[in-house]
Amino acid sequence: MKYYTYFPGCSASSEGGAKAYGWSSKAVSKVLDMELRELDDWNCCGSTPYSSVDELSSLCLSARNLALAEKKGLDLVTPCSSCYVMLNRTNSRLKEYPQTKAQVDEALAAGNLEYHGTVRVRHLLDVVVNDIGYDEINSKVKRNLGGLKVAPYYGCQVVRPRPSFDHPENPQSLDKLITSLGGRAVPFPLKSRCCGGSLIISEEALALGLIRKIFDSALSNGAECLITPCPLCQTNLDAYQSQVNKKFKTNFNLPVLFFTQLMGVAFGLGEEDLGLRTNIVPAERVLAKYI
Amino acid sequence: MELNGRRIGVYICHCGTNISATVDVEAVTEFAQGLPGVVVARDYKYMCSEPGQNLIKDDIKQMGLNRVVDASCSPRMHEPTFRHACQDAGLNQYLFEQANIREQCSWVHTDKEMATEKAKALVSAAVRRVYYQEPLETREVPVNPNTLVVGGGIAGIQAALEIADSEHQVYLVEKEPSIGGHMAQFDKTFPTLDCAACILTPKMTTVGQHPYINLMSYSEVEEVSGYVGNFKARIRRKARYVDETKCTGCGECSNVCPVELISEFDEGLSKRKAIYIPFPYAVPNKAAIDKRGYPPCRVACPAGVNAQGYIALISQGKFKEALEVVRRTMPFAGVIGRVCTHPCELDCERAKVDEPMSIRTLKRFIADYELKVGREKATPVEQTKEGKVAIIGSGPAGFACAYDLVKKGYPVTVFEAMPMAGGLLRYGIPEYRLPKKVLDNEIDLVKELGVEIKTNTPVADLGGLFDKGYKAIFLGTGAGNSLKMGIPGENTTGVIHALDFLKQANSGAKVSLGKRVAVVGGGNAAIDGARVALRLGAKEVTIVYRRSRAEMPAAAGEIDEAEREGIKLHVLAAPVRVLSQDSRLTGIECIRMELGEPDASGRRRPVPIKGSEFNMDVDNVIMALGQEVNKAGLPKDLDYTGWGTLSVDSTTLETNISGVFAGGDVVAGPSDVIASIAAGKEAAESIDRYLSGTDLREGRPEQITRVKEVSKDGVGKKARATMPMLDLEKRDGSFTEVELGFDEKTAIEEAKRCLNCAACSECLECVKACEAQAINHEMKDEIVEVDVGNIIVATGFQQFDPSVIYQYGYGRYDNVLTGLQFERMSNASGPTGGEILLADGRKPESVAILHCVGSRDENYHKYCSRVCCMYSLKYSHLIREKVPEAPVYQLYIDMRCAGSGYEEFYERLQEEGVNFVRGRAGEITNIAETPEEEGKLIVICEDTLVRRKRRLPVDMVILSCALEPTADADQIAKTFSISRKADGFFLEKHPKLDPVATMTDGVFVVGCCQSPKDIPDTVAQASAAAARALAMISKGKVEIEAATAVVDEEACSGCKICVDLCPYKAISFDEEKKVARVNEVVCKGCGVCAAACPSGAITSKHFTTEQIIAQIEGVLV
Repeated sequence: MKYYTYFPGCSASSEGGAKAYGWSSKAVSKVLDMELRELDDWNCCGSTPYSSVDELSSLCLSARNLALAEKKGLDLVTPCSSCYVMLNRTNSRLKEYPQTKAQVDEALAAGNLEYHGTVRVRHLLDVVVNDIGYDEINSKVKRNLGGLKVAPYYGCQVVRPRPSFDHPENPQSLDKLITSLGGRAVPFPLKSRCCGGSLIISEEALALGLIRKIFDSALSNGAECLITPCPLCQTNLDAYQSQVNKKFKTNFNLPVLFFTQLMGVAFGLGEEDLGLRTNIVPAERVLAKYI
Repeated sequence: MELNGRRIGVYICHCGTNISATVDVEAVTEFAQGLPGVVVARDYKYMCSEPGQNLIKDDIKQMGLNRVVDASCSPRMHEPTFRHACQDAGLNQYLFEQANIREQCSWVHTDKEMATEKAKALVSAAVRRVYYQEPLETREVPVNPNTLVVGGGIAGIQAALEIADSEHQVYLVEKEPSIGGHMAQFDKTFPTLDCAACILTPKMTTVGQHPYINLMSYSEVEEVSGYVGNFKARIRRKARYVDETKCTGCGECSNVCPVELISEFDEGLSKRKAIYIPFPYAVPNKAAIDKRGYPPCRVACPAGVNAQGYIALISQGKFKEALEVVRRTMPFAGVIGRVCTHPCELDCERAKVDEPMSIRTLKRFIADYELKVGREKATPVEQTKEGKVAIIGSGPAGFACAYDLVKKGYPVTVFEAMPMAGGLLRYGIPEYRLPKKVLDNEIDLVKELGVEIKTNTPVADLGGLFDKGYKAIFLGTGAGNSLKMGIPGENTTGVIHALDFLKQANSGAKVSLGKRVAVVGGGNAAIDGARVALRLGAKEVTIVYRRSRAEMPAAAGEIDEAEREGIKLHVLAAPVRVLSQDSRLTGIECIRMELGEPDASGRRRPVPIKGSEFNMDVDNVIMALGQEVNKAGLPKDLDYTGWGTLSVDSTTLETNISGVFAGGDVVAGPSDVIASIAAGKEAAESIDRYLSGTDLREGRPEQITRVKEVSKDGVGKKARATMPMLDLEKRDGSFTEVELGFDEKTAIEEAKRCLNCAACSECLECVKACEAQAINHEMKDEIVEVDVGNIIVATGFQQFDPSVIYQYGYGRYDNVLTGLQFERMSNASGPTGGEILLADGRKPESVAILHCVGSRDENYHKYCSRVCCMYSLKYSHLIREKVPEAPVYQLYIDMRCAGSGYEEFYERLQEEGVNFVRGRAGEITNIAETPEEEGKLIVICEDTLVRRKRRLPVDMVILSCALEPTADADQIAKTFSISRKADGFFLEKHPKLDPVATMTDGVFVVGCCQSPKDIPDTVAQASAAAARALAMISKGKVEIEAATAVVDEEACSGCKICVDLCPYKAISFDEEKKVARVNEVVCKGCGVCAAACPSGAITSKHFTTEQIIAQIEGVLV
């Protein structure tokens, strides 16, 4: 049994837009003998858009989570790529800028908290492929994906800006994960490129263009569906797919799943754990071809 | 005030304002005046200047000073200056001490008060120390006038020529087969556009012919010991396998060499052969052979057949020559090429890419080719030896032994009991697996060489043979007896043991079989028996085997074919009795088995299931349970092992009877053909030594090392050739060969898959082609020791490998090149004859050149590589000249064109119409976004001058890569006792004033190994180092620092701790007196021995305990 402190983040929490990610993460972790203990009284990670507006406040919010997690003494695991970047960035800022640290410490002190910089923040994908391993995952597969062509879409925040657990330009962990589930990984050149992120709100046309390119690339390499480890990417690619089609006169019909949803399908879990109903582009048709 | 005779003068330097801006020099001077022993204290603006020094000198003379302290900069800077000043004035230079109040005080502090206090403390320390200093004398040692130059690029060449022209000896050591370095690879040089080779080759030629230069190419310096003026260098001259005095550089050897490797000189753009001259203007213009150890196939083969050798020749269509390679080792190419268990294929490196090479079937191909075109009769070997050798048994072991011995000139006679020769090769293996004509061809070859074969001649008495004059005997009688099962009814007519059955069938005798046949056993003999029975008319053949199919020891392919031919497998069953009626065989009673615990062989033991008996109705039973040695057929007095096989010495294969050797199945029990051949060869070696009277054991077994790493770079997957098989319908009742072998095209294609693991395959074609007879594959490395006075290190640079920058696509896209690759492409003697071409042979329609790849980059190298802006301009010019229609883009950060004629060159390129884009490339992609971008490489960059992101679709991208320290820089630094800077290049003594010397006296660093630079600067540095060396040679002597260690021999306890600790190996131990002794000339005064000596017997002169304690006191008090 492996133990982790779990930070769902706003999107993957039970009320968030990516609640299915939360359900499937928890369910899949159970199958893999990982105990995810949700951090008590966690707050927003500081969020990437907010950090561009008021970095100090964002760091304080983030540090509060770290201070709470530090007391548990375990790795802090999050399924959300944005939270992953924010929490790691906070760790780095506090280490590299003592003056910033002093200010953040002051804020924490006001809440009777302190943070000593010892929490290791990890992404759920990292934990699953490196702590558990592909062989173990493969052994839990009950419904082999039968060669389903899955494009691994990493998004940018899980591999950049700082050195992370996978190659910054050509990561392989999702590719190998798909293979271990019995699917056929369809790597495509834009697999770790930005989807636009929160620019979908402020610069919709730009972001839709980026999303379109990603679909073009995945489809032209033979993808039948995509999986991703980031709630923001999933929303952009799934919820805005019809907008992309409207704007560019394309007709993409590619289901976009969270990687834990695909794992759950292969593990034979039920709908209450997978949450496939919450996906906007329906996945059942594509999955049913093979399973 | 004078103290105990010490009259100390203290001088405080302002150093302009370097010191005085932070330290109150007047206050320090006043303070110094009051220190014990100080008779005068002065301050002055520039103590190191002439007036400053004169202050000291005058005071020494007029005030009778006998100690001097100077508080100024670091002793590294000016200690020699002031020491000389003292010496000039008549005061021993070791009575001087320098206090560093600049680098260690004024330069690193900002608080004036505290800095001044610190300066006072440092001065006080120096004053107290100098009190205890004693006069010392430096030693002078002679300077050896020879010089060692390490590295044969332009830097090394220049330095060597300058020194050699002064008629002093130079040893020039270069690790590649030719001198020339990277400059030899260049096309034109900037800014004059002189051709690099044109200006370099005259110098190279002069080096090669100079009477005062001893050029040691293909060599490396392994160890250096000694000290300035007196170095000893140990140089390893790597074996070229070519005699430099005979080789004429004609290149015929390369023409016939079948092994192609990647050319390092052409930066991977072309291939070269294993025997090669790196480029046409190489100096020395002699071939060298690239050998990398033994290939895994050769190591795995028990007989040592050179598989890489014959495969390389097949790939070139040289089938006859390929067969020669095999026959150097053993005669049985066609036989082994069909029946060998191929251990070579199990370790084949190609398997790491896709599948192993078809080593066995390729061997069969060349043997079959010989049968097809006809074999020339072999010339009998001249019998030069007297000792007659008798070989008993004409199986593979006997033949291999006979073959080796007859080739050595021995008279050999083979005695064979059966009517024909070949042993189990003829009488065991069926015709459809090994056609007799293949065997006969190879037996005939052995006979033609002069081996006498006496068939129908069994031998039981060895003594008789010795009486007949035979001097040595080899027993290769095999294990031809069938194991019996021991079940009731085994002797019933109709039960036949496999070996007997096969013997009859293979002799052409008529064998009558009923319709239904059971074959008991799971080995090759069982399968052979079954498939022969089928061909002799049996309708239902069933193999009964007591374990499961997976455990059958027969070759997997044989079992598959047996089943395809219709033979049934009844596994997990064994007969318990043979059934008969009226003495006619009716069937067998069997019992079912299940698998239990593993037995001694590791296979699970079959356990009978009680009550599971059943009957099988058959007309014949063939028993194939295994083989054993026929003891009855062998002489009485031999020793046997517990297994019933002959007992022999494992190295020499000698039996208990002197002069009688044995090998093959008779020793090993039933094993495979190649192991028997190996044993026969080993015995031949033993017999040769026995008869020549040389030691049987020396140098055996031969030690060979398998090549370690085999690069798979650029090797694409290609499926292994499949064996074509005779159609099932055609096999019915016929003994036609089932496996058909490769045709020529397939064989050549398959042979090309070989990775050539060992580089040179030792096929020996080059030896045949060399008219000058200059090639010698037995050469060994040679060690040479030279004595020199100075060493100039000129080991150059290596190009940064841009494959680590994933976004630039080097190694992923075809037309992304490095700078050196472009040099080779543009060079008229390069792989494209000087044409600028894309990978598919077209000319590029546009080219982009990216500056600063790996340089000026936090992620790789922070420094600027200095030459890339200029060579990028040069590339633009060359492209504009050769492909005038192609636009060229240069993506730069800054244009660094400082040098004579450089700015003018830049202007010229601007006029030639090159597009300069100020900005770095973020990525090179092949994903087109518009129709114009289709099929292009798109450089995505920022153009900072127009403040836009741009996409530049081009056909070719050149990466101007950084110059970085060589991979072995660490090793070089250790060997020559030099340091490396943070960026990895070698550390010079002073970056401004002494860029060619190092901290190690007598060792100089020049050229790019010190820092990236262009050719003019490199040549200048080389000349500078040559001048320094010549200055020392001209003076003939050099002063050695006196601050060395000395051992008080009375106090020394002889513990030897100091001896091993000394990093310079300066301490020796006198075994008679049992004391340590320091070689003052080698000692560098590091003090480790003095600190470690438990008896306190070692003194560090000029750094005595008294002096150091006094210094500490001065700071604290």
